[in-house]
Formats: sequence, C-alpha cells, structure tokens
Amino acid sequence: MRNPYEVLGIKEGASEEEIKRAYRELVKKYHPDQYRDNPLAKLAEEKLAEINEAYDYLMKNRSSSGNGYRSYSGSQWDNTANSNNIFNEVKRNINIGNIKEAEDILNRHNVRNAEWYYLKGIVFLRKGWYDEAFSHIQTAVNMDPGNPEYRSTLQKLNMTNVHYRYNPYRTRTHNSDLCDICTFLWCTDCFCECLGGDFISCC
Amino acid sequence: MFGYIIPEKQELRIREYEIFRSYYCAVCKSIGKRHGIFQRMSLSYDATFLALLISSLSGEPGKVKRERCIIHPFRKRNVFIADTMAIDYASDMNVILTYYNLLDKANDEKSVLPKGAALLFRKAAEKIRMEYPEKCGIIEKNLNDLLKIEMAGCPSMDEAAEPFARLMEEVLLFPGSENGKNAEILRWIGYNLGKWIYIIDAYDDLEKDFRKNSYNPLICSYNGNNKGSVAEYKDYFRERVAFNLTYTLSEIAKAFELLDIKKNKPIIENIIYLGMLRKTEQILEIGSCSKIEESL
Repeated sequence: MRNPYEVLGIKEGASEEEIKRAYRELVKKYHPDQYRDNPLAKLAEEKLAEINEAYDYLMKNRSSSGNGYRSYSGSQWDNTANSNNIFNEVKRNINIGNIKEAEDILNRHNVRNAEWYYLKGIVFLRKGWYDEAFSHIQTAVNMDPGNPEYRSTLQKLNMTNVHYRYNPYRTRTHNSDLCDICTFLWCTDCFCECLGGDFISCC
Repeated sequence: MFGYIIPEKQELRIREYEIFRSYYCAVCKSIGKRHGIFQRMSLSYDATFLALLISSLSGEPGKVKRERCIIHPFRKRNVFIADTMAIDYASDMNVILTYYNLLDKANDEKSVLPKGAALLFRKAAEKIRMEYPEKCGIIEKNLNDLLKIEMAGCPSMDEAAEPFARLMEEVLLFPGSENGKNAEILRWIGYNLGKWIYIIDAYDDLEKDFRKNSYNPLICSYNGNNKGSVAEYKDYFRERVAFNLTYTLSEIAKAFELLDIKKNKPIIENIIYLGMLRKTEQILEIGSCSKIEESL
C-alpha cells in the first residue's frame, strides 16, 4: 500500500478536516459518473479504490468514522429488465469493453429505433467519435423524448464540457472574469431547465 | 506539428515559466545536436509539451543549466538537462513529423520550397526511421489513410480525424511505455490530442481551403445550399466544433488525472485546462478574450 497521505495528496499529520476535504475532492474527481462511457473507467475505479483504502486507513486511526461516499459499482446496466435480446447483447459487449463487437451487432441489425441510435451513440462515445455520438444520441432523444436515460446521457455530454471548464485547477487560479461568470450562470440556467427546474426565472 | 499546444503564460508562475522555457531550449538543443542546425528551425511547442509530459513521468529530479546557444548568442538561457530520453524522443518526433509534413506539402503544392526543405530533412528522417522502425511504420500507415480519406472527400469529422488521432496515439506511446501501467492512459491522451489538433486545424483552415477549393472535413460534411462566404461557414460550424473540441479536451484532462505525475504537474495542468482551452476559443473566435498571440 502506498503512503495514504501521498495518495490523498496531503501533508503527513493533516487534521481530520483536511483529510475529509481532500477525500471529498478526489472522490468527486474520480467518481464513476465522471468516467462513464470512457475507456479508462477501469483505471479510474482502481484509483478510487486506492483513495478509499487510504481514507479508511487514516480514519481507522481516529475516533470518528462515518462517511457517505462509498460503494460505487462500475457497471452501467443491470442485464435484466429489457425485452430486446440483441440490444442486451450490445450492452453486454459495451460493459465488458468489447466495442468492436457491439458495433458489428448494431450494424447488422436492421431496425433503426431510438434504442438503436442510443446504443450506437454510446459505441461512438467509447471510440472517441464525439460528433457522431452527439448526433446519434440527439436522434434517440428526438425519437423518444420521454426516455429519461437518453435525455440524461445527452445532458451529461454537455455537462462534461461545463465540468472541464470549471475544474478545480481553473478555479484555483482565480481568473474568472465577468464573461465567465455570465457563461456559468447561463449554463446553470440551461441545465436546470433541462431537468425541469429553473435557475434564473426570467429567461 | 502545429504549435497549438501552449500554456497560458499569464497564469504560470515565473518559476514554472522558466521550467517550460528550459524544456523548449532542451528540445531545440537536442535537435541541433542529433540532427543538425537547420532542423532546429522546425521546433514546435507541441514537441515541448511531449518532452514535458514524458519527463514528468520519471522520478529523476529536474536539473537546469545556464547555457549559450547559436540562436541566442548573447544571453545565457536555462536548459533542462535531466531526462535525456524524453527530450531526445520529443526532438526525434518533432523532426520526423516535420519531414512527413514537408513531403505532404511538396506533393500538393507546386512550389519547390517544401521539396527542397524535405530534401534537407531526409537524412535525419532516415536515421529516425532506423531507430524506431515500427513506430514510423504506423505513422506512415496513418498518414496514408489520411490521404485516402482526403482524396475520397470524407464527409464525417470523426472519420477524417481518425488517422491523425491514431498517429498521435503512437507518438505519445514513448519507447519503454508500451507495456507499462500508463500505456492505456497515454494512448487515450494521444488519441484525443490528435483529434483536437486535427479538428482545430480544420476549422482554422476553413478560409484557406474555401479559397483554394481544397478538402476540408467541415465543408464536406455540410449538405445544405452552398454558402457564399467563409464567415457563414464559420458561424454554421462554430457551436458544433466547440462542443467537439471541448469534449476532446475534457477527455484529455480525465486521462491526465489518472497518470502518476512526478513533477511539473502545475505546468501540464495549465496547458490542459487553460492554454488549450484558450487556443480553442481564440481559433473559434468565442469567449471573452481574443488575446493577441505572443511568443512565449
């Protein structure tokens, strides 16, 4: 096991508050949601496991415990509950990282419904073909606007860019100018509206 | 190489800036020593980034020495003198990619200038080819694929960017890293870097390609009524290209966070989170600042 302080990026003998803060930051950074549909998801999971282990180790030597940031599963879909066998097969292949096979099955399949476009979009995302991914998932949402999975994936694509723009490194430099703040407010408003709420009521 | 990968100078600490410069000088000197004075002119910031990233993975402490050079004979400059493997590899990649680029230019332009320059680079390129035969084979294969895609007038941004993304994937996978724990991460950084460079370059070239009527993946992907001016094309593609470029950068950032970086972390973070985003906004003409480009 590596030095747990090093893993959490803090000085040895850091206070409990500091450990918790560092832990929270890291969990946010390596959270499976951040690496969904990313080929490096497994590595992020390992990293998170290491962080969890380091945190547990440090916390064990202290009095209090109790944290609510645990037990993530990396798997994207549970393999039940869907009637369509072919799409299940595609999902299974995507889950185990066999993107080529998933793509082949989809290409052989003739029915081009919303689910097909959605899964094809996920395949593109894993390949790094973001332009095609976006347009396919957009098509899926247009064909079946009520499907929450399609919509949340589409939102996540947009949110990824917002996350990147407002990452800890960038905010640490304190350089956000007026336009950045405007953009941030505008983005926040848009995404709140997408989710059915509203951040700025007048627009 | 194109020189799109640069730090945001204003946000670097002076110490960090000095280190970045010392890498730049080191790669330049390495090219001079290994390939010749003329080849030094081809040095790009992209190669500096490559050297910086690879060097940051090694635990060897950084060392800097003040040296004079032919290009700046009067003032001594800091030159990075540790991690010679990383520096030399980046300088080799800089030279070989410049050579391929010159060959490509010599093929599709009538001017003799690129042809002459390519001739000057040939000996160095042969030497590098001997040193990394497999790597250069893969690079050449991808450049061939790229040529085919351009000849066929491929209308998909992703498909057109694929060969160059694969090429950069190979470039980032420096010798000795192939079987290590970082291999997969380096590949994904390289893939996305290549993609980012290809797409930003396509957008940057819209005007030139429109004027010369040459292949551009963005113009080819457009299937509406022909637009009269470049500005209309630029407006049409801006949002879509911005999404793609930012997404690509976010993937680079995520992969980078998984690397076990031993030094220079703030400089690389500056490049990935600020410099490349600024460059994106500058080329796309969006965001709050359209700063005038200055030499670093």
